[in-house]
Amino acid sequence: MKTDIKKLDELSRREFVASAAKACLGVGLLPMAGSYIHNNVKALTPGSRPAVARYVIYLNMTGAMSHLDTFGTNPDAPDIQGPTKSIQTSADGVILSENLPLTAQHMHNAAIIRTMSTSQGAHEQASYLMHTSYLKRGTIAHPTFGSWVSKLSGGINKTIPTNVQIGSNPAGAGFLESKFGPLPIGNPAAGLANSKLADYIDQSRFGGRLAMAQKMNQSYSEKYDQKQVRAYSDLYKDAIKLMRSEDLKAFDITLEPEQMHELYGTSNFGQGCLLARRLIENQVRYVEVSRGGWDTHDNNFESVATNCADMDKALSALLLDLEMRGLLKETMVVLTSEFGRTPKINERDGRDHWPYGFTAFLAGGGIKGGTVYGKMDKVGRNPEEGKFVDPASLNATIAHAMGLPLNDVQYSPSGRPFTVAHDGNPLFDVLA
Amino acid sequence: MAVRWVGIFSFFFGFLLTSWGQENFRTFTASSGQAFTGRVLSYEGQTFYIQGKDNKLYPVPFKQLSPDDQKYLIQVTREGKVPKGDPRKLKPSPTPTDNPSVASSSEGEEIISRPPSKPKSSFRKGSFFAYKPVNLGQDPTMALETTKVVSLPGPDEPVDFQSHVLPILEERCLSCHNAPYDKNGRTIHPKAGLRLDTYEWVMKGNLDDTVVEAGSLENSYLYEVITLDQEDDMFMPPKGGPLTPEQIEVIKRWIEDGAKPSVAGGGEVASSDMSQGVSFDDHVFPLIEERCLDCHSEPYVKNGRTIHPKAGLRLDTYEWIIKGNLDGAIIEKGDPDGSTLIGVVTLDDDDPEIMPPKGEPLTKEEIDMLIQWIKEGAKENPSDTFTKPEEVVSVNPKDAVKELSLIDQLAKRLKPPSRPQMEAAQKSGALVTLLSTRHSMVRAEFSSGPNSIKDDAIGALSGIKNNVSHLDLSRTSVTDGVLGEVKKFNNLTWLSLKNTSVTDRGIENLTKLPYLTYLNLVSSKVTDQSIQSISSLKTLEEVYLWNSKVSAQGIARLRKALPDAKILH
Repeated sequence: MKTDIKKLDELSRREFVASAAKACLGVGLLPMAGSYIHNNVKALTPGSRPAVARYVIYLNMTGAMSHLDTFGTNPDAPDIQGPTKSIQTSADGVILSENLPLTAQHMHNAAIIRTMSTSQGAHEQASYLMHTSYLKRGTIAHPTFGSWVSKLSGGINKTIPTNVQIGSNPAGAGFLESKFGPLPIGNPAAGLANSKLADYIDQSRFGGRLAMAQKMNQSYSEKYDQKQVRAYSDLYKDAIKLMRSEDLKAFDITLEPEQMHELYGTSNFGQGCLLARRLIENQVRYVEVSRGGWDTHDNNFESVATNCADMDKALSALLLDLEMRGLLKETMVVLTSEFGRTPKINERDGRDHWPYGFTAFLAGGGIKGGTVYGKMDKVGRNPEEGKFVDPASLNATIAHAMGLPLNDVQYSPSGRPFTVAHDGNPLFDVLA
Repeated sequence: MAVRWVGIFSFFFGFLLTSWGQENFRTFTASSGQAFTGRVLSYEGQTFYIQGKDNKLYPVPFKQLSPDDQKYLIQVTREGKVPKGDPRKLKPSPTPTDNPSVASSSEGEEIISRPPSKPKSSFRKGSFFAYKPVNLGQDPTMALETTKVVSLPGPDEPVDFQSHVLPILEERCLSCHNAPYDKNGRTIHPKAGLRLDTYEWVMKGNLDDTVVEAGSLENSYLYEVITLDQEDDMFMPPKGGPLTPEQIEVIKRWIEDGAKPSVAGGGEVASSDMSQGVSFDDHVFPLIEERCLDCHSEPYVKNGRTIHPKAGLRLDTYEWIIKGNLDGAIIEKGDPDGSTLIGVVTLDDDDPEIMPPKGEPLTKEEIDMLIQWIKEGAKENPSDTFTKPEEVVSVNPKDAVKELSLIDQLAKRLKPPSRPQMEAAQKSGALVTLLSTRHSMVRAEFSSGPNSIKDDAIGALSGIKNNVSHLDLSRTSVTDGVLGEVKKFNNLTWLSLKNTSVTDRGIENLTKLPYLTYLNLVSSKVTDQSIQSISSLKTLEEVYLWNSKVSAQGIARLRKALPDAKILH
């Protein structure tokens, strides 16, 4: 009880309305406290170039994946490499860690940036920077990349959201309208929570309740016919539209055949990737799937190998599945984390935080397959080839492939200008 | 804004007003609250012509005036104090005025914005006024001087569209079948929705059908109507007598020879070969598009604000590039050193003035190309923008850049669909979007509630069928019937029939699509019988057949027939 009361304190007015609606109408208004669907679809706004990547699946390895033991192995520097071996891949001259044998077969469709660097060494701040291209500040909440996609290009499917976040850490739309923020899905197997009517409410009863709620609202909404007020009724409308939509099936991975579940692996991440593929097939533009457990201060090599087992399976399954369905050409799959891990192996056989030379793996739409950008030196501190690539430039690269206008300025409520990838420049070396 | 335009407009016509103005000056109030003093001169329909104290003429819509003014106007018109008609045309006064603008205005009896006559040479070179005005939505190349050689081809000479066929069309057809233009504030559309002003439009036909089928006189309606009996209702042209036998012969020969576009200015499409001289379309513009247009493009509206090109400089067409901005031209033809464009791109890397301000500076090759272009006179050297399908085969399937350029090449031949056309197309339930801004090609997809999409939905797209490059019918309830319509989408490059009940009978329809590069038949009912049809699509780069009914032998046959294509099973 105590926690509930404490929670209540934290509820915003909007959340309060949503939970009141849940109580009164017998329906949770989906997990969304805002309208995630583009009402009156501002149809997909074309960018200045045709998009080569219409969809993006962003696989976020939270806790900072050890780049040296996954996508950034350096066999020339045995001192820092530790016991992890490298293997050849389907792309000539490109090597990966032995932990990723399945992904290695897809390297001809993928590129790796091996000189990522960030200015932040703490998880939360670095993750914020990766997602928003801006440093975390007390005075403003920046929109995540997915929210920018949603804002700048609009949705393709009119009934389901444009921007979906599977797994932990749903970051929001920042100063943009909350409808551009991600629709969070905690557990991929459960699909979209609270999107069905309770069993004891039939359609006519539901209709009656809606009518009554509308009647109660009528005088208020007539008196205050404003954007914010209308947003509340839009919230109901969108939620109901989605509840009744056939497209809701996109969220239901139980409809996938058993062999698909096996292909992706039964881990939460694997199932998340499967859901991501279903969503892309239903033309959701931006899906982020996160996987934790990479903060390997202790026992790095064993943990990474374990983590890689299901990450490798899920990633390779995703790439294969997208390719077989003819979706890979227009879908960019990105796998990265907020920073890397130290070249020096600590006394607990672990690796600590290291913001230099971590990796980003990009595959599919718009990507020049079989490319590696940059190479770190033997101590893993500075680039030996190529330059450092900051988070903003990674986002600019993705945005460029999606045909988003990099110079489109959106103003925060206080009138400050922001763009999708801040000061980042697309890294054309990895773009086709 | 409107008042300002009226002001500018009336500046030319202002002084011709004469003694019609019997009415006294009074103050008129617009419903918006603005007030001005003037006297009413005449009316025409719902528009009253009011002369201000400044002697300028203001056409004012009746409805915009306050009720009092409306009463007054009704009264004076009933009493016959105000004549009907445009005061500029009433011309009652026999006394010639001393203002020269009267004389010139009497020529322009109708206010028609057609491409006007030659601009006067007295304007400064590069001046805004030295260019012909071009209607909105019209091809900006109209602003350029074009000299056409009107001649009949010799008996053995191939018939050329530009120099032989188009002049005939211009002389006899374009008075009705021209691009939409503005006349007295109304848009005049081409009759029967048929435009004959460019090759693309001639080949496109209208909503009914095409009017020219290459090589087939019987199926070419254009030829039929000019050879009908003169008494026939459909005989063309309806006015001015039939075409001469020579003219008919030219059109006949042109159709029989395959109704080819003009070969003038030939040269390979998007070739980087500059031995024939630097081409604006092929060499210069792609660079400018990539590096300059983010800032120097046409004004557009964003968040309710108009974003103007930086420094007032537009680089989005040849004409604008030559025109420069208020500071003057940025290109001195033949003189690279005197051209500001070359100046700003060759500044030091850290110079704040260097262009482009973002990204890497232009490479030496790019700068050399610009210099050579200016040395050669900064000519447009338009290329023949038509690609034969055979040439497409050589495109490397993995090279997305070239694939894009195919779409861009297709786009060059077409105008972007108009807003009403896009809206009509959306009625199909499809989401129809331009591939990018300023692109003529569109993508049509049925993303929401695809189950309810049946074969008839495609009908709404027929108005823009040539503009559709990407068509996504995946997950819809369409059947084979829909492909009978899809085969008319001549410029289709990308087609997805994933998860549909399409069978071999439908696929037979696709064999005539000349540019198809992507075909997705995943989870469809297609079997080995379709392999022959698919094999005949030599332009294909990617074929997806996973979960279809095609056997491994079928795939092997297909791989043999399309060795360069990526075929997934």
